[in-house]
Amino acid sequence: MSYFLALLIPSIFLLSFAYALLKNVKVYDSFTEGVKGAVPLILSVFPYIATVMMLTKLLEVSGLQAQLLRWISPLFDFLGIPKEISPLLFMKPLSGSGSIAVLTDILETYGVDSYIARCACVVYGTTDTIFYIGAVYFAGLQRKKLTSALLIALFSYLVGSVFSCFLCRIL
Amino acid sequence: MNILFSLLFLLCTFLLLCVSPDTFLPSILEGASRGASVSVALIANYSIWMGLMRIWEDSGVARSASKLLRPLVKRVFKTDHEEALQTISMNLSVNLLGISGAATPYGIRSAKLLDQTENAEYASAMLFVLNATSLQIIPTSIVSVRVGMLSANPYDIILPTIFASLLSTIVGVALTRLFIRPKTEAKQPSFFFKKVKTRGVSI
Repeated sequence: MSYFLALLIPSIFLLSFAYALLKNVKVYDSFTEGVKGAVPLILSVFPYIATVMMLTKLLEVSGLQAQLLRWISPLFDFLGIPKEISPLLFMKPLSGSGSIAVLTDILETYGVDSYIARCACVVYGTTDTIFYIGAVYFAGLQRKKLTSALLIALFSYLVGSVFSCFLCRIL
Repeated sequence: MNILFSLLFLLCTFLLLCVSPDTFLPSILEGASRGASVSVALIANYSIWMGLMRIWEDSGVARSASKLLRPLVKRVFKTDHEEALQTISMNLSVNLLGISGAATPYGIRSAKLLDQTENAEYASAMLFVLNATSLQIIPTSIVSVRVGMLSANPYDIILPTIFASLLSTIVGVALTRLFIRPKTEAKQPSFFFKKVKTRGVSI
């Protein structure tokens, strides 16, 4: 199966290019024209990425994150989420690279096939990096309704996580 | 976001001031440079996908995909903006395939286009919530991590991930509809609504 997953992306490229050639698209011109858009796009979202990253680092270094984690893990525990994965639960909405590090750590500590590790994997796959996506999607918009959208996304994330741990217990 | 940011920033800075004031500048600098290096990595990543995206546009694949998803997208997002409908459709399709590198550029473009429309608040919130709650069908990156760590059964997390992510998406969509109401309701008769909702959720 992982072989088929590995086939997916190259096949998409192959089919897309072949189809474009069939349709008489000047593939080289078209591709470079698309690439041209990458730099302005990053420039427009860079301030938001940088600011979120600075805040993430401060949260980590100041110990506020660890403190919040200590306060919130009894709640997680009550909801059926093992306390071992609460660092992941906290990290995932903030940073993709940070949470993959936390996930790998959990997998190594508790064993890939343990209940905790399986919970961690499912929780990881249930949601995307909420704060990062929020910062990037709402970058420079005129009419913002970020706060309520953010709360909705975070709440859905919590519901999804509780359900994840429940499913890992029964499946 | 301004309040949340200020609050967290002030709290962190205050704590650092009390505990170890000399680590403040190095850590914020590290955060900033991580932002810079992530952005450089993203330029490379987006170059690949935005090149491919342009090819999809020029060869008509994007148009066909959006034609297919259009009725659904139009009802969920309540917008008539032609270009936005197309970029949203593409954002959702590549999300389902798990190509997050291409999903974000489409998402940003959609959000910018939606910003000019009447229903911007509702539609961009819906777009954000759908993307934030993850639409990916097969969690490819986790499966490959598990394969790499020699799991006895690397695929047994796929099913729970699909169910859990479906639930979080349903909750997110329902709450968005409830709390950030669309300004203009769809012109369709109201009995259409229920059907629409279930279909909207099934993506």
